[in-house]
Amino acid sequence: MANNFKPNIIGFLCNWCSYAAADLAGSSKLEVPATLTTIRVMCSSRVDPVHIISAYLQGADGVLIAGCHPGDCHYQTGNYYTRRRFALLHKIMETFKLDPERFRLSWISASEGKRFSEVTKEFAEHIEKLGPNPLKNKPFIE
Amino acid sequence: MVKIGLYLCECGPNIAEAINLDKIAEQIKKDNKVAGIEQHKLLCSEDGKKFLVESIKKNEFERIVIAACSPKQHETTFMEVMSSSDLNPYMFQLVNIREQCAWMTPDKEAATSKALRSIRAAINRVRHHDALQQKEIDCNPDVIVVGGGITGIEAALRTAQKNRKVYLIEEQKLGGRLREYGLLFPTMQPAQEFLNKKITEVKNTGQIRVFENSKVKEILGFFGNFVATIENKDREEIEVNAGSVILAIGANPFIPTGLAKYGYGTFDDVYTAAEFEKMTSSNNITTKSGNPPKSVAIIHCVGRKRLGYCSKVCCTNSMKIARYIKEKLNGVKVIQFYKNLCLPDKKYDEFYKKTKEKGIEFLRFSDIEVTKEANQMMLKYKQENDNEDALPVDMVVLSTGLIPNPKTEDFAQMLNIPVDEYGFFKEEHMKLGPISTITEGVFIAGCAQGPHSINDSMVQAGAAAGKILSSLVPGRRLQLETKTSYVSETMCIGCGVCVDICAYGALTIDESKRISVVNEVLCRGCGNCASACPSGAARHRHFTTKQITQEMIEILK
Amino acid sequence: MAKNRDILVIGAGLAGIEASLLSAQAGRKVYLIEQASYFGGAAIKSEEVCPNMECATCMLAPKQSDILENKNIELMTLSKVTNISGESGNFTVKIIKRARYVSLVDCIGCGACFEPCPVSMDNEFEENMSKQKAIYLACAGALPNVPAIDMEYCLRGKKQEECTACKEACMFDAIIYDDKDEEIEIRVGAIITATGFKLNDSKQFKQYGYGEFENVFNAFEFERLRASNGPTSGIIQSRDGKEPKSIGLIHCVGRDNRGYCSQVCCMYLTKFAHYALDILPGVKVYQFYKELSIPEKGNQKFYHEVKEKGVKSIRAKEIEIIKNGNGAGLKINYQNEKAEKESVDVDMVVLAPYVEPFPGTDELGKLLGIELGNFGFFKTAEFDSVSTIRPGIFVAGCAQGPKFMQHVTTQAQAAAARALNITED
Ligand SMILES: Cc1cc2nc3c(=O)[nH]c(=O)nc-3n(C[C@H](O)[C@H](O)[C@H](O)COP(=O)(O)OP(=O)(O)OC[C@H]3O[C@@H](n4cnc5c(N)ncnc54)[C@H](O)[C@@H]3O)c2cc1C
Ligand SMILES: Cc1cc2nc3c(=O)[nH]c(=O)nc-3n(C[C@H](O)[C@H](O)[C@H](O)COP(=O)(O)OP(=O)(O)OC[C@H]3O[C@@H](n4cnc5c(N)ncnc54)[C@H](O)[C@@H]3O)c2cc1C
Ligand code: SF4
Ligand code: SF4
Ligand code: SF4
Ligand code: SF4
Ligand code: SF4
Ligand code: FES
Repeated sequence: MANNFKPNIIGFLCNWCSYAAADLAGSSKLEVPATLTTIRVMCSSRVDPVHIISAYLQGADGVLIAGCHPGDCHYQTGNYYTRRRFALLHKIMETFKLDPERFRLSWISASEGKRFSEVTKEFAEHIEKLGPNPLKNKPFIE
Repeated sequence: MVKIGLYLCECGPNIAEAINLDKIAEQIKKDNKVAGIEQHKLLCSEDGKKFLVESIKKNEFERIVIAACSPKQHETTFMEVMSSSDLNPYMFQLVNIREQCAWMTPDKEAATSKALRSIRAAINRVRHHDALQQKEIDCNPDVIVVGGGITGIEAALRTAQKNRKVYLIEEQKLGGRLREYGLLFPTMQPAQEFLNKKITEVKNTGQIRVFENSKVKEILGFFGNFVATIENKDREEIEVNAGSVILAIGANPFIPTGLAKYGYGTFDDVYTAAEFEKMTSSNNITTKSGNPPKSVAIIHCVGRKRLGYCSKVCCTNSMKIARYIKEKLNGVKVIQFYKNLCLPDKKYDEFYKKTKEKGIEFLRFSDIEVTKEANQMMLKYKQENDNEDALPVDMVVLSTGLIPNPKTEDFAQMLNIPVDEYGFFKEEHMKLGPISTITEGVFIAGCAQGPHSINDSMVQAGAAAGKILSSLVPGRRLQLETKTSYVSETMCIGCGVCVDICAYGALTIDESKRISVVNEVLCRGCGNCASACPSGAARHRHFTTKQITQEMIEILK
Repeated sequence: MAKNRDILVIGAGLAGIEASLLSAQAGRKVYLIEQASYFGGAAIKSEEVCPNMECATCMLAPKQSDILENKNIELMTLSKVTNISGESGNFTVKIIKRARYVSLVDCIGCGACFEPCPVSMDNEFEENMSKQKAIYLACAGALPNVPAIDMEYCLRGKKQEECTACKEACMFDAIIYDDKDEEIEIRVGAIITATGFKLNDSKQFKQYGYGEFENVFNAFEFERLRASNGPTSGIIQSRDGKEPKSIGLIHCVGRDNRGYCSQVCCMYLTKFAHYALDILPGVKVYQFYKELSIPEKGNQKFYHEVKEKGVKSIRAKEIEIIKNGNGAGLKINYQNEKAEKESVDVDMVVLAPYVEPFPGTDELGKLLGIELGNFGFFKTAEFDSVSTIRPGIFVAGCAQGPKFMQHVTTQAQAAAARALNITED
């Protein structure tokens, strides 16, 4: 089963750094797993834990948030809030019986196209190993 | 049902060869959520844009999804197309199927299904888009400058124009620290001549209104519309309006009382460089005993370790003092005790060389102590090679750095700008916004921002003028950011969580309604407040929770 | 005659970009001319900017997009000024726009033309540490995202061969083999020159072995080694591809001969030490300095933080770099602060050569009718370092002298204020 399991991974990317890094990965023709679909936000701090929980409830196998390196946020301090907000997520995930490894927070700058490719590949592989999100298709949670 | 139009761009072979667009069109048609699907070779070309406008109008689409390249490439291009098609530019979503799909996914089938997912997500998202309008407000081009040192003077001169008044507010008299200097490095010109010329220029510029011996009691308002209450020399309160504020309140010399080994305050003839300047401006250099000193030691970097930064002007200033003494007093011995020479201008090596040529000695020390034996001051020092020695001197000048004006904190609070770890005003961005602050329309210049030479202070004043001249143009309205946040009156519980996190002070609690309100002049549209708000009242335009989750749900289907 | 309100900015590094953005924001038409095929100047060569170690691309790219998207700004790459006449408020400027051979309008930046090009040549942007084709983009992410053909190397150039490989590969008909240099004439009210700097080629200082020993690098080379979009994708390695176990950073290269401190090198060498310690576990880093110049807020703190991570800082004189044995290893001989002779063996040496004016500054100075100072930078007034002797012509950034980016920004903003002011009626 693990062999043909194609996870569905959501990536939230901040406009100024990580989204630019993803573009650079593309224009440098570096491979990024097709199992990752990205959503652009202005700042990583726009990602609300509620979005993430609902992503898992909707069946996301993995969620990645990527933003500017600490100190580099285009809006001064946004990513510090992001970091703080998601430090607590692990606990919540455990209560849902979700492996915290299904969540990843990374800082990827605009010139790090290669790193974007590496981080996403590694994350996707990891999710493939973890298998499908156990909450998927569990209607009682809806 | 709203009529959504989907446009697929082939981008020549770039997309067409990597993604099966026909299959996508087929699937989307089956979904039956869009009113029409069109494909084009190259949507961003002139031909492509014309095609878009004609097609959008002909089909009477109301919302548009374009699957093409990165928004970083052509979002603006297509938003302009939207306007040309008489649609609100925000009723549009660009799907990045080139950079973030075609170009990063070698497998065509995988790329096709990823593109399909993203396009479906965009279709689902665009249904929830709102028509956003570009907002404008009236603004005042006038300028308030706080502090009438050389920085404030220069800021006033550079901003005063035919249609722009400047209010220059000085606590004491115009001139700042320079009023107490004899000569100026690196030109060695008389400080007072230089300063007086500038002050005359201020007085001759009709557009500048000077308030000396005056205080700023309060500054309210925001970018484009500030109101300051000034208490003038006659203790009357005067209100002035302006669109921007430049804080140029300068810095103070560090007083080394806590650093016992320098003997400051213990021995008579130990002065700070600033005190020495006062002596030079009165042109009278004597020791307490009334005689001119036969030997003077100037010690660099006093207090630097404690302050945590290099004050940038002290090395050169020490040399200026040394040269002054050498010129004034025949046969005097002047020695500089330094650790590292910081000569931060292309002209200063030359200045150093000239100083040495005048017979001024330089001695690198690793430790030093000022003592007194019998009636003679002695400098005990250690060199880098661990040699220890002592030197009798008649006078010691301590080159201390610059520390923040104690009022920095008050202004910081008044205008919601942070101070840095040293206590100076903190700039918005060290490299890109060195004189801007997180409060739009409030600028910091000169030594209020950190230690600077006169030249660098004046450049900063000019820079603040540049920011003001470019953003507040007389007769023009101020255009605001569109993708700002707003707060739902009915949902807001007035908890204030958002107020604390907003880096730009854009949120305040409206005390009468007990709810939070966004000042759209200040909001930069990061969306942090929307994530923080526990009741879902703070909402980020164009990135609402609904829009984001609708996009996400579709991806996860 | 009424004043012309348009503004010409020469040089599109940080200074030119900032000055253009402010002028355009004020509603003025701006001509921004850049001699290279890309813009961004020296700053885009850095991976990170000290002391806060922010990503340089993330800092510059949004500003660059603003330039490209601003309807008031006309960016002309591969362009130079050839003549200037008139006076403040009414200058007439001739500009030569060199042929790019690729259409800025039609090209979509897909990069399909690179691969088929048979010519391989050194990439100058990468300090010749990697190869590019005759049709090239300076680096991944370079802007504008449109390649250029180097006709010096293209087979169609000197060799006059009938190569059409790139044209055939381009599906957008963006290649224009008969593209011509074009001379245009514009009228502006004020001029800001922001032509920046280059690093001195330290070969003349034989004692450092630059050009002689392959593992002696200059500062830009090292920046590109660490750059994620550079020739090694950010891996610091010696020329033979090995990870260096020890690195010697040499301050003040040529300073004494030249006669000024280049301002930025003490800090960027500290940044280099940080780069190395950050990604090379166990690496030994030595800084050989004469004087430590670490002014500006935050710099002293950064220096000490990096030092505490294990950098050995040595005040040294009479530095000499020689070969260590038969391999690629190097030996640094020097005299320490106690005047004792010492030496260390290292795998790599990085030099901080002095900052000098960008080549051609002297000719441009003549055209503009403005003086150069002792060291060849544009001369400015005392206590007014953005004004030249000629009214209407202003200077910003490292074209005026070496400086940190914050001072580049402030000068650019101050120059914009002047230009805006004198072109006001
Ligand atoms: C000993 C010494 C010697 C120096 N010599 C030289 C030299 O030779 N050449 C050189 O280039 N640089 C020199 N410098 C640096 C130089 O002093 C500064 O660059 C310069 O003073 C900066 O000017 P400023 O206007 O920013 O600040 P300041 O000169 O400090 O002026 C600030 C002004 O703001 C006013 N103010 C403060 N608070 C308020 C308030 N709340 N409301 C209203 N007004 C207020 C003050 O009264 C003052 O007039 C020297 C520095 C020192 C310490
Ligand atoms: C190795 C190194 C590391 C550095 N690291 C840092 C750091 O970490 N932090 C920091 O603050 N500073 C750093 N600096 C300094 C920083 O790079 C400069 O301050 C800044 O890049 C200068 O910008 P500029 O616009 O003045 O000049 P440049 O960036 O040199 O731009 C000038 C532009 O003008 C163009 N040009 C030149 N002549 C002409 C002409 N005749 N016509 C048309 N165009 C022309 C050039 O092609 C160039 O694009 C570093 C410098 C070096 C050498
Ligand atoms: S819009 Fe983007 S994807 Fe479409 S043709 Fe233009 S460059 Fe290619
Ligand atoms: S969106 Fe960002 S800037 Fe705007 S009010 Fe919210 S937190 Fe402040
Ligand atoms: S014509 Fe040939 S040699 Fe010249 S750039 Fe194109 S492919 Fe390269
Ligand atoms: S010239 Fe043609 S092939 Fe080359 S990048 Fe531009 S569009 Fe692509
Ligand atoms: S900045 Fe440092 S390395 Fe550069 S010339 Fe000055 S003292 Fe030497
Ligand atoms: S803008 Fe990138 S994390 Fe805030």
